Amino acid sequence: MDEKRLDEVLSGLPRSFNDPPPPPLDEMWTVIEDKHFNAATSTPRRSGSRSLAPWLAAAATLVIGIGIGRYLAGDPGASIPETSSQAIATAASAPNGIQSEVVDAYRDETTQYLGQAAALLISLPEAGAPDLSDARFAGKASDLLVTTRLLMDSPAAQDPKLRGLLEDLELVLVQIARLRVERNKSDLDLIHQTVEQGDVMSRLNSAVVTNQSGE
Amino acid sequence: MNESQLIARIIAGDRLAGRALYDTHAPRVYSLAYRLSGDAEKAREVTQDTFIRAFSRLSQFRGDAAFSTWLHRIVVSVVSNSRRTDVRFGREVTLDEAHSIAVAAPESDPDLKECIARSVERLSEAYRITLIMHDIEGYTHAEIAEILGVPEGTSKSRLSAARAQLRQDLAAFRE
Repeated sequence: MDEKRLDEVLSGLPRSFNDPPPPPLDEMWTVIEDKHFNAATSTPRRSGSRSLAPWLAAAATLVIGIGIGRYLAGDPGASIPETSSQAIATAASAPNGIQSEVVDAYRDETTQYLGQAAALLISLPEAGAPDLSDARFAGKASDLLVTTRLLMDSPAAQDPKLRGLLEDLELVLVQIARLRVERNKSDLDLIHQTVEQGDVMSRLNSAVVTNQSGE
Repeated sequence: MNESQLIARIIAGDRLAGRALYDTHAPRVYSLAYRLSGDAEKAREVTQDTFIRAFSRLSQFRGDAAFSTWLHRIVVSVVSNSRRTDVRFGREVTLDEAHSIAVAAPESDPDLKECIARSVERLSEAYRITLIMHDIEGYTHAEIAEILGVPEGTSKSRLSAARAQLRQDLAAFRE
């Protein structure tokens, strides 16, 4: 194939690549009308996640503090692990005789992790914000990503709700970690939309409360 | 009734205004969604999701850009999120499936068609979207730049890189 033929191929793409069928306009409109116009009259709309931010920031800080406090209170001689992932790895290798302590360790680390994830998402700037320290966010997201994956493979993820949340957080953290490599305005938009679509903040809040109460 | 008036009436809950705006934009939204996803069911879901999200956020539309630009920005975002979710849950269309759903014109060389489908699927997300929008759906670089929120030069360089990769992949067909 010569260059001319290649150009012909490219110019023929509109007819040869994923040529769309006629759109099912009425069928799609029925769904849109039902979900927007009918739902609008019966369902109160959620306020934006930004309005939750100050409350969640305070909660996240509190949770991290309590998590560290619990850890210290449980074993005065224990050293504080440098990262959540270290603690999870340590807990995973614990002998059978101290299973309950292992469960507590998982819960504490999960609580700490959830607080850190909430703090990161809250501090994430809006898409239009200038002068962003993307590397800082991306680095933190990468660290939390390691912990996320360790938790997903740990007994902590046996709770289906928590597992679902971890999976969604994994996706969000991957997106944030990628900011270091390539960033444009739509990347941050996508992250905020993923968080919003998955209702991640309210699930995160709920998980923090549940985990903190030891349920 | 112009678009601004339609939008005001939709915000007030007017279904007929909603349908009018939908009829104007849905065909192109669906077309772009289908080209990007390669699947009729997915394109239907993306189109529905796009309009539901657009209608629910109409009060945030300030008219800085054309409504179509704003709408197509949502399409790209919905498709990208959907593809990332599919990748995560292993629902990504396989290359063979991508080939089978890439409907070809009757005169197309089937091997070449397969090669093109695979090659486009292999492109990075940014390159693939730019190539499909420009070379297939006919968007201008200015439109792509505004929709994707990148400089026009970035759109041009992404297209150039995407074409270069296609040329490389299709080199086997050189005589």
